[in-house]
Amino acid sequence: MKTKLVLTFPQIAVQEPITCSLVEEFRIKMNILRAQIDERGGKIVLELTGTSDQIKDGIHYLKDKNVKVQSIEEGVRKDEDKCTHCGACISVCPTAALCFDKESWKVVFDDQKCVVCGLCIDACPTTAMELLL
Amino acid sequence: MKKEKKIRTYGEINEKILAKSVSVMTAEEFKAKVETDGLEKAAEEVDVVTTGTFGAMCSSGLLLNFGHSDPPIKMQKILLDEIPAFGGLAAVDTYLGATEMDESLNFFRGGAHVIEDIVRGKPVRLKAHSYGTDCYPRKDIDTWISLKTVNQAVLLNPRNCYQNYAAATNSSDKIIYTYMGKLLPEFGNVTYSSAGELSPLLNDPFYRTIGIGTRIFLGGGDGYVFWEGTQFNAKTPRAPNGTPTRPAGAIAVVGDLKKMSADYLRGLTMHRYGTTLAVGIGIPIPILDLEMAKFCSVRDADISTAVFDYSEEKRSRGVVREANYEELKSGELEIKGTKVPTSSLSSMYKARQITVELKNRIVNGNFLLQEPIERFDLEHTMKPLEIRTREEVLK
Repeated sequence: MKTKLVLTFPQIAVQEPITCSLVEEFRIKMNILRAQIDERGGKIVLELTGTSDQIKDGIHYLKDKNVKVQSIEEGVRKDEDKCTHCGACISVCPTAALCFDKESWKVVFDDQKCVVCGLCIDACPTTAMELLL
Repeated sequence: MKKEKKIRTYGEINEKILAKSVSVMTAEEFKAKVETDGLEKAAEEVDVVTTGTFGAMCSSGLLLNFGHSDPPIKMQKILLDEIPAFGGLAAVDTYLGATEMDESLNFFRGGAHVIEDIVRGKPVRLKAHSYGTDCYPRKDIDTWISLKTVNQAVLLNPRNCYQNYAAATNSSDKIIYTYMGKLLPEFGNVTYSSAGELSPLLNDPFYRTIGIGTRIFLGGGDGYVFWEGTQFNAKTPRAPNGTPTRPAGAIAVVGDLKKMSADYLRGLTMHRYGTTLAVGIGIPIPILDLEMAKFCSVRDADISTAVFDYSEEKRSRGVVREANYEELKSGELEIKGTKVPTSSLSSMYKARQITVELKNRIVNGNFLLQEPIERFDLEHTMKPLEIRTREEVLK
């Protein structure tokens, strides 16, 4: 299974190689989508791939280390009433989660591909894109 | 241009519209028909081609007349939902520009957003101040207005519907925010604005049928072309098919906001640039002769523009490459050996919707074509602004 998580690290936790342990000890494949972390702590957005047991154990481990774990069901939302389908968001999206449907010329949003980077938010002229994290 | 054999006149087209026997195609339908049936057959069979665009058009605004209060006021400083409007007209007339913002520089709300609220029928707060005169004794007013309370609400746009426009990229090492949208560093993306083959003035490159007096679809209602657009430049270099390869012509348009809809008028915020109005414009092009049919058959691949480097802080920015609209609309463009994603800033979805809506209005007998009462000057060029002395300006 795949799951997307936001990890919030307290100051104390940044001195340990915590995310590395997810790979080594729990055999979870990991894709870091976003990371903003310094000596005072910070946030990492991750996509984890593994069996449900591996992921469950990994999350348990993270919580033991005082890392706050939030799962992302929806990181970015597109307001269909506001969207005029101009496409200003498309070329700033690094994962092609936003693209034109070439038949209808509507901008379609695939939240499975979205890595919640937020680049589309201020690229949208009608403020149709909202960051929910 | 050689004299073309007339196929039909405006009068004949309008008779057919009233008799509901007119043959209308959207620009997309017509281009496809020319490709399958050939130019002559398409020109014989189709009376009118509908074109459209929906994009940011900064040179737009709303002319309002509020009616007189008791006692009356000669409004001098005017705010509509805290956005300043022009106080230099008669007592209760004003003009609200799309790019006007309040002093806090809150980019999320400007004149364009107030215009959108007014067209939606929402209440808008009007505050005005005056120095007071014998005939207009009142000095301050604080009240509410809406589309229902005002005498006139006229969308009056000095420059809309550009005939081709630049594409943009960014060679610098930081994100820049421009009227061409968000441009990622090191040629990270390309943005473009024209609707290409759907865009009205690209289907009538020499302004044969689009001129002063042409009736148009404007913001969901009817409107007219009332002048050439400001900065009109007919002498822009052109491709052999007549389409300009840089920004060229534009139109000044007018129409009754009371008949318009927020489906085709939207307040926009270009982050760190400012506010602007997305305007939907549709123009019917009569297939008067084979030449007009030829013009309306132009495809995206035959219309090109330049990709400019918007990180250059000067009037004439460097051209990174030429690109046609087929390439731009494909979603990626090669820049310096790398494929770069492209973004449209105007809505092709809405532009297409406008061509369909206008076609329906004509077919249903609700929209007659108006022949221009005067054509634009094909010698008109655009001048820059230089820093000059009092004497130099007369040379």
